[in-house]
Parts: sequence; C-alpha cells; structure tokens
Amino acid sequence: MLLAVKGALSSVGRPAVFRTVVGLQAYRSLHSSLPARRAEPSTPIPSSTTSATEPITALAQQGSNQYSLEHPQNKAEYVLSTLDKITNWARQGSMWPMTFGLACCAVEMMHMAAARYDQDRLGVVFRASPRQSDIMIVAGTLTNKMAPALRKVYDQMPEPRWVISMGSCANGGGYYHYSYSVVRGCDRIVPVDIYVPGCPPTAEALLYGMLQLQRKMRRSRKGVLWYRK
Amino acid sequence: MSLFRTLRSIRRVGVREWWHQMQYIGDAKSGTFVGADQFGNRYFENVNQYEEVPGRHRWVDFAQHNYHASQVPPEWHSWLQHIRLNPPPQDPVMLNSSPPWKEPWVENLTGTRGAYKPYNTVPPKITAWEPKTTSRT
Repeated sequence: MLLAVKGALSSVGRPAVFRTVVGLQAYRSLHSSLPARRAEPSTPIPSSTTSATEPITALAQQGSNQYSLEHPQNKAEYVLSTLDKITNWARQGSMWPMTFGLACCAVEMMHMAAARYDQDRLGVVFRASPRQSDIMIVAGTLTNKMAPALRKVYDQMPEPRWVISMGSCANGGGYYHYSYSVVRGCDRIVPVDIYVPGCPPTAEALLYGMLQLQRKMRRSRKGVLWYRK
Repeated sequence: MSLFRTLRSIRRVGVREWWHQMQYIGDAKSGTFVGADQFGNRYFENVNQYEEVPGRHRWVDFAQHNYHASQVPPEWHSWLQHIRLNPPPQDPVMLNSSPPWKEPWVENLTGTRGAYKPYNTVPPKITAWEPKTTSRT
C-alpha cells in the first residue's frame, strides 16, 4: 500500500508518457485512432534514457505503426523504403514556403529569411506563388474575412503540401480568441502539420519548426504504405 | 572555409574525426574538448578568433545520428548559448544547486507516441443527437 502511494507520488507532475505502468496504458497515444492491437510490453518503458543508440524517441515509438513502417519486412519493402528515403531527402532539401504573412508574426518570418538565421542554407526559399510552393506558413491572425482566401491558396498548392501554423493567433486564436471576426485557429480551415507556439514566435523558434517539419518529412514512408495496402 | 584552416583542423583532429564532422557539422573544426553530457554529446570550444569566427566558437557534436537542438540538456544549453560563462562541470552554481525534484532531461518527442497532446477539460460543445421518443398512448 505504502509502495503504491509512493509510486503514485513519484509520478505526479510527470507527463503521462513517462509514468511507470500502473494502469492499462503507459503512454499517451499520438493518434486519435486506436493503435494496433498488441501485447503489453513485459517491461515498462523507461521515462528517460541516456543511450545514443536507443534514444528516448526510439523508445517512444515502440509498437507504433510508424515503427513498423520504418522496419522493412521483405525485399520489396526494403527497396520501397529506400526509394521513400530518397524522396524524403529530395523534399526536405528544398522546402519552398508560401508566405501567408497576416500580422506581426510575418516580421519574425522575415527575420528567419534574413542574414542571422538564414533559411536559405536549409534550402528554404520564399515563393510568393501557391502553385510552386510546398509549404504554407500561416503567420498571424486569421480573420473570418481572410479564411476563404487562405483556403483558396491552400487548394492551389500542389501535393504534397504542408502547413506550418505560426504563432498563437494561428494556432488557436490567441489573443483574439474571443473576437467576433477571428477564426479560432487556422486548423479549422486547413490541416496543420507543425504548430509553432509563441506570440510572436522568435525566428529561431520558426526555424526549429522548419527543422521539425524536415523530421516529419523524413518519417514519410508512402511507398511502403502503398505496398502494404 | 579556407583550405588552410581545413588542413590545419584535419592535422589536429585526424581524418576520421574530420570525416565525422563533415557529415554532421558540415565544417572542419578544431578546439578544446570541454566536456560531455549524460547523453554523450560532446562540447568543444575554440576562443582563438583567428581560427574560429566569434559566435561559432562553442559547438556541440551530437551523439545521435538523428540529431536536433533539444538533445542538448539545459545545463549545457546555458553554456553553449553563452548564458553562463563556465561549462556545467566547472560552474559552482550548477554544481551546488541541483534541486532534488529535478526531472531527467527528455528531448522533444514531437512526432513520436510520447508527443504532447493537449486534452479538453470542458464538456464537448457538439454532441450527437440522441432521439428521445415518447410512446404514444
């Protein structure tokens, strides 16, 4: 009994992912859909690790569909996942964002392009045409009046396309959440890949968001997914 | 950068380390090894302004292949970004003030199952319609 109380106390304040297994679920699922059925891991997933070969990100992926996709099971999948990796490499090397600067966040977005943070070294070049860009950075307050235009621009972008929601106004309305004329988050209009928090986020934060988007691109295994289906 | 600087760095760190640097840092750098954190990331410094451009004189060599900035723990981050002068193993404040409630550092888990996912604490605004019919007499 005392042990149980102690265990519960030590896990207070920790994110649910890292709590020691007490109930059914030791992790918080990333996806809203149900995870694939599988046996419970025999040993609890540790809350932190210092290993470089099996980092915490790898531990957190245990038993997920993504983990399964990244580990080919036969020769065809091996070839396809290699092709996927080449595609991902090509995509992440030239991300052309469509600038949708709506408010003060756009200034920070410009700073990302300027000399200090220099997005061009990552191959990120602003392209003011939706038909030739593959990322949209929604920077700033999205108003009701602007929402149809945003959607129209998004629809004009070719696949594959990604959206970065920049700043608290674009993430969820932010300061103008209770305004009568503001969309409460641009994810009500377009599907968002990366949310960059901040009011406004620094150029550094936005650049980190771009790097996270590169990570997301690197995880893509569309060929393997197609083969398995 | 310059050919001379690259050759000097290769002579100092060796071809193997230079190749590793070119793959991960993208530059041939040489400096003093300041320390390593609990994850195995190695930290270097070279304050000679003729060898390293000021602002690039402290750097990290990540242990993981898939590296990103949040793998640097906060103690080393404060050294790397010049918030504190001394590296954590030599900083008296860092050495003497490690609160017992401090959690081990975990890198950004975005995109994995450990990612932060906010939850709603208020009842949902939209509910499915459940028809209630009163039986006819």
